[in-house]
Amino acid sequence: MLRIAWGRARRSVPHNLAGWGLLAAAAGFGWAAGGAWGVAVAALFAMGLALALLALAAWRSPPGRRVASNRRAGMLPDSGRPLGLWRRIATFLLGVLGAFAGAVALAVTLQLAARAAGAAEADANALALFAQPLIWALLAYGVLMARSRARQVALLAASGIPLLPLLLLGGAR
Amino acid sequence: MTAAPEASTVKRALSAHAAIGLLASALLYLVCLTGMVAVFHSELQRLEQRNAPEMTAIAPEAVQRGVAAVLATEAGEPATTHLYVHLPTSDVPRATVTTDTQALHLDANGAIAWPEEVAWTDFLVELHYMLNLPALVGLTIVGALGVMLLALALTGVIAHPRIFRDAFRLRARDSGGTALADWHNRLSVWTLPFSVTIALTGAVIGMASLTAYGLASASYGGDVEAVYAPIFGGEDAPDATPAPLPDIAGALRHMARDYPDVTLTYVILHDPGTAGQHVQIVGTHDRRLIFGEYYHFDAAGRFEGTAGLADGALGQQAAASNYSLHFGDYGGLPVKIAYAVLGLALTAICATGTYIWLGKRRRRGLVEPRLRAAWDGVVWGVPLALAATLLARLALGNDAPFAAIFWLLAALVPLAAIARAPRYRPAPPEHA
Repeated sequence: MLRIAWGRARRSVPHNLAGWGLLAAAAGFGWAAGGAWGVAVAALFAMGLALALLALAAWRSPPGRRVASNRRAGMLPDSGRPLGLWRRIATFLLGVLGAFAGAVALAVTLQLAARAAGAAEADANALALFAQPLIWALLAYGVLMARSRARQVALLAASGIPLLPLLLLGGAR
Repeated sequence: MTAAPEASTVKRALSAHAAIGLLASALLYLVCLTGMVAVFHSELQRLEQRNAPEMTAIAPEAVQRGVAAVLATEAGEPATTHLYVHLPTSDVPRATVTTDTQALHLDANGAIAWPEEVAWTDFLVELHYMLNLPALVGLTIVGALGVMLLALALTGVIAHPRIFRDAFRLRARDSGGTALADWHNRLSVWTLPFSVTIALTGAVIGMASLTAYGLASASYGGDVEAVYAPIFGGEDAPDATPAPLPDIAGALRHMARDYPDVTLTYVILHDPGTAGQHVQIVGTHDRRLIFGEYYHFDAAGRFEGTAGLADGALGQQAAASNYSLHFGDYGGLPVKIAYAVLGLALTAICATGTYIWLGKRRRRGLVEPRLRAAWDGVVWGVPLALAATLLARLALGNDAPFAAIFWLLAALVPLAAIARAPRYRPAPPEHA
């Protein structure tokens, strides 16, 4: 259904909804049949089917001479332009180390907040362990998408602020 | 009204995608490639040591005898703190006792057969897990790569506003970089649930130590083990006073009688032969993602309860499900094959990403043969180095220096490719 929806010349909301709805229904059936295990297996089936359709598309693809997009990624300067090494190192430090520290701070904040809200210790700790990598990825994304250095620094500084009052209150124990 | 992001957002997302991709590309490629192979680690270790005794089950009394026999070989040496008995399963139908210092196969009667010799499989798993580095450093780096993969998935979707609409469009035979870009984008979008799952579960495993350190500092007075205790259960206080071995056979009989539907995978002895010892039995549950449930027994073989991984707090069940979701061992060989195929796709995505970037620069007139050669060296050098370690296993045996061989070759191949390549030369752009 998604293949039909996305193959149309114009965007079709009913077809899109039907396609995504069928995917959601498959996940629902998976859950009903086997809980999280069922959803995982259903997802593998869906991905396998999609890859099979993709292989078919590759097989039927005619030779062509279209030119791929040349959008600049801006990772390295074109010849003759300054490298801007220090600027790149600063971005790396903020996007990797800064975002990591911010993610740990927010994960700890989540654990303390969950405990303060009455969550079980196992739930609060597991929440933090799962949240840290997700938050790190989001913070790294935020740093790299920020329009200025000041915004990058502000974003990372903000990620540590919620932890301060909770630590001052004495943590979960 | 449209949900499409603004052009400037798309442009910055593409820059972010390229920055993260190029930063992590070589190690990400290595981790994806080794992960794809390591999905079959059970099958590989059976192939690596084909003459080990195999059995569909082992009697409780045989396990008891086997543990006593293995510990007897360590008399007079520092006592092992943990002892694991791998019980025969459909994946690995072998009984193996592992202590702090050795691993020995048992036969069906519980007698010691011979040492376990699966060093190549162990090397492969350690390469994937921690790049053969010390555990904390290696796990953290690999965990960080998982985070990078998550960020790549996010930036990739935002940088390509038509990525879903074009999801079935694959111009596989186009020249001019179109086919490469299409393969990269189509494989990315259709493996997205797998990639995000693998990245998140891997990142959780890898980053857990440092996150736990943060939690321990904030809430547990620096005691890292106390962070995990509510999830996986804690360890009792040790008591080194000598004591007879625990009644493992009794515990196994209890499991067979009271939990006949649970597939037992491991017996774990904590501080065996001391007054502080206790027994854990790990059992898997059919149609569950959890790696198993811990069943606790005292030294007399009396059942004390479970850790709650199967039916405890949601956080416990989620944490226990993280591992199987990452390793793909929750549905037998079909799921492993699916993981290998999707892992191959993910490996191809990593390889093609850098080629796409190099191709764009070439089309703008920036021909960088050495950069291209370096990436060729990584793409071909890593599988070549892995194959060389396998040959070393066949030629030199279990004690071959696999990590040294792998890393030497994985470094030499790109260096040789760079040395052979001509230097940078500007060329007229192919397209304005």
